[in-house]
Amino acid sequence: MYRATADQHEEPRSRTGGPVRTVRVWDPFVRIFHWTLVAAVAVAAATGLLADAPWIDVHVWAGTVMAGLVAARVVWGFLGPGSARFAGFVVGPRAVLAHLRELRTGTAGRHLGHNPLGALMVLALLAAAAGLALTGVVAYGGVLKAGPLAFTTGYTDGRAVLEVHELLAYFLLALIALHVAGVVFESRRSHENLARAMVTGRKPARPDDHLPAARPARPVAAAALALATLGIAAAGLGTLAARPPLGVPTAALDPAYAAECAACHVAYHPSLLPRASWTALFDGLDDHFGEDASLDPATTGRLRAWALANAAEAYDTKAANRLRAVEPAAPFTITGTRFWQRTHADIPDSVFAGSAVVSKGNCEACHADARAGRFYPGNIRIPAPTESHP
Amino acid sequence: MTRILAALAVAAALAAGTALAAGPRDTLLAGYVAEAGAPASAARGEAFFKATHSGGKPDTASCTACHTADPRSAGRTRAGKPIEPMAVSVSPDRFTDPAKVEKWFRRNCNSVLGRECTAAEKADVVAWLTGQ
Repeated sequence: MYRATADQHEEPRSRTGGPVRTVRVWDPFVRIFHWTLVAAVAVAAATGLLADAPWIDVHVWAGTVMAGLVAARVVWGFLGPGSARFAGFVVGPRAVLAHLRELRTGTAGRHLGHNPLGALMVLALLAAAAGLALTGVVAYGGVLKAGPLAFTTGYTDGRAVLEVHELLAYFLLALIALHVAGVVFESRRSHENLARAMVTGRKPARPDDHLPAARPARPVAAAALALATLGIAAAGLGTLAARPPLGVPTAALDPAYAAECAACHVAYHPSLLPRASWTALFDGLDDHFGEDASLDPATTGRLRAWALANAAEAYDTKAANRLRAVEPAAPFTITGTRFWQRTHADIPDSVFAGSAVVSKGNCEACHADARAGRFYPGNIRIPAPTESHP
Repeated sequence: MTRILAALAVAAALAAGTALAAGPRDTLLAGYVAEAGAPASAARGEAFFKATHSGGKPDTASCTACHTADPRSAGRTRAGKPIEPMAVSVSPDRFTDPAKVEKWFRRNCNSVLGRECTAAEKADVVAWLTGQ
């Protein structure tokens, strides 16, 4: 059994610059996987927790890459070399407790591959990442009505799963902090740079190391299995994503509605207000936001019927869900709702006042899909305050 | 002989086309003038268009609030939508659709003046903008 004390004698030798015999511990796939995963998780965390809504597409791509990496790593966990195989490093609770006991008494040996605690961390990180991918795709489908599950996921379900997604995100960040702390701890304890080993793949060879079980890797089988899995998944998810999303308006605006309303302002999609609000609005067209916008009775009747049939109650988009409750003080001022104000709080007044927007009610100036009632965050493009009207 | 006939036919067609194009606006103006019982005045129309009125809604005290004081330039609704210039020289199809003209006179006079415009006021404004 290798002892920490012996290590202290050996380490200075390597610092003198003399040749140190090293062995390869981490195969190229594991190393590329590790650092690509770091990049994907960093991008996903930054875009999910810090960036504004328009970054959603980058976030989803980062999550997709993460999911693909995890899937490939699981395949490699069964077909890779010893230090990559789950069977080579995953141990039972008894071994973990024994390792902890040895750590406390200072008798724990050095594991060339993952030690029992590290193995637990690998599993926890992979599970958290997989959980994030799964909850992410459900939330993406239900809340934003995009991705492979958009055709079947309701807003309320998506919203609930989004909460789990957020909790998992913080859980993963906590795991990463713990993982880094563990790497620092173990690097100091065993006098080696574990982070560098994950770059070079090599560690100094020492006597008495716990060696991972020697198993031959099956790279061709692994690549075939991973590619087949990813290919089938991509094709299946792509087919599902092409289905019409649940509760999203598909029909074009009624031509009379579009013509009459858009004479003065954006033709707001009727799904942005509940039926009670539309009724109040059509009852008060002669004093509509400080102007007489009345129409002949036939036209008013046609527009009212169409708006009521397509009101917020008829759809399941985020906007329809969040704007479905009537604001008693201003039943049809969308920019007066708390939802609107909260989601637009970060946008400076100079943007709204700029010649490209002019008015807060000019949804189309930033939301390319406003007219369709979709309001997908990836379709937001906020013009510079000085940009001229298109 | 056939050439002369053909030339005459083309000239007649052109004349008819011109008459048709100018027709609706002339008919509309003639109708307002007849209803008012007095000839239209472009000068009165300009003054009316640019005046600040009371009695209407507070955000729209003048036609110029949205149309600007220059009828040849585009206006903008309070919500930010561009409005085609009112001057016929810039927007040739202005005042050729009586229903549209009546709709907007009704709404906008109510917004600016708090009442409908008289036939005389409509005649004056149409006369002024037709010459612009």
